[in-house]
Amino acid sequence: MKNDFRLQYPLWMMGFIVVLGLFAYGISSPVVEITGTELEQSVMVSVSGEKGFFTLGSIMLYLVMLLIFFLQLRKHNREKPGQKISPFSIRPPEYLEQDEGMTYITRKASQKVYTFITWGLPALAAFAMLFSISKLLIIWGILFIALGQYWIYYREIRKHFKEETE
Amino acid sequence: MLRNRVKELRARYGFTQSDLGKRVNVTRQTIAFIEKGEFSPSITLALKLARALETSVDELFWLEGDGEDEK
Repeated sequence: MKNDFRLQYPLWMMGFIVVLGLFAYGISSPVVEITGTELEQSVMVSVSGEKGFFTLGSIMLYLVMLLIFFLQLRKHNREKPGQKISPFSIRPPEYLEQDEGMTYITRKASQKVYTFITWGLPALAAFAMLFSISKLLIIWGILFIALGQYWIYYREIRKHFKEETE
Repeated sequence: MLRNRVKELRARYGFTQSDLGKRVNVTRQTIAFIEKGEFSPSITLALKLARALETSVDELFWLEGDGEDEK
C-alpha cells in the first residue's frame, strides 16, 4: 500500500505545480511584436535569455515528467486492474475509497485541505487587493495554495500508513 | 472512546490483518486502523468482525467510561 501510486499521486501533482511555477516565471513580461503589413503578418513573442532558459527548461522538464508519470500510471493500472486510474477523470484519483476505513482517512485529509483552501484563497485575494503585486506573484500565490493542498493531503494520508504492522 | 479486542482475538485465531480483512471484505489497513483505535467501524463491519472472530459485538467493542456515562 505504501507504494500505491494513488499515495504518490499528490507528490506528482506538486512536482507539476513547481514546473508550472517555473514556466510562469519564464513567460512573465515577454516582449510581443505584432507585424501587420500587406506583405507580412506575424506575431513574435520574445523573452530574455534567463527567462527563455526557464521557459524552455520547464517545458522540457514537464514533458519528461509527463512521460514518467504516464509510464507509472500504466504500470499501476496493469498491476491493479481493480483500482484503475484514469488521467482524465474529474474525481481526484488520490481518493482512497476501497472500504469504510479508507473512506474515513480520505475524508479526514479532505477536511484539512478544505480548511486550508477556505482560509488560503480569501487571504490571497485580500493580499492581492491591498497590495499592488504583479500578475506573476498572484499566479505563484495560487500555485502555492495548490501546492499546499496536495502537501496537506499527502501528509495526512501518509501519517496513517506510517506505522503499519501486520 | 471506543476500545476493542480485535488484535487480541485475531492473534488467538492466528489470523494476520490481511486474513481478517479478507474475511470481512476490507483492506488490511482498515483492520490496522480499527486495532489502533484510529477508526470506529460501522455496525455492519462490527457485526462482521464479531462473526469472523466468533464472538459478540459487545465482547469485541466497548466504550471506555461506559458505566460512568450511565450514572
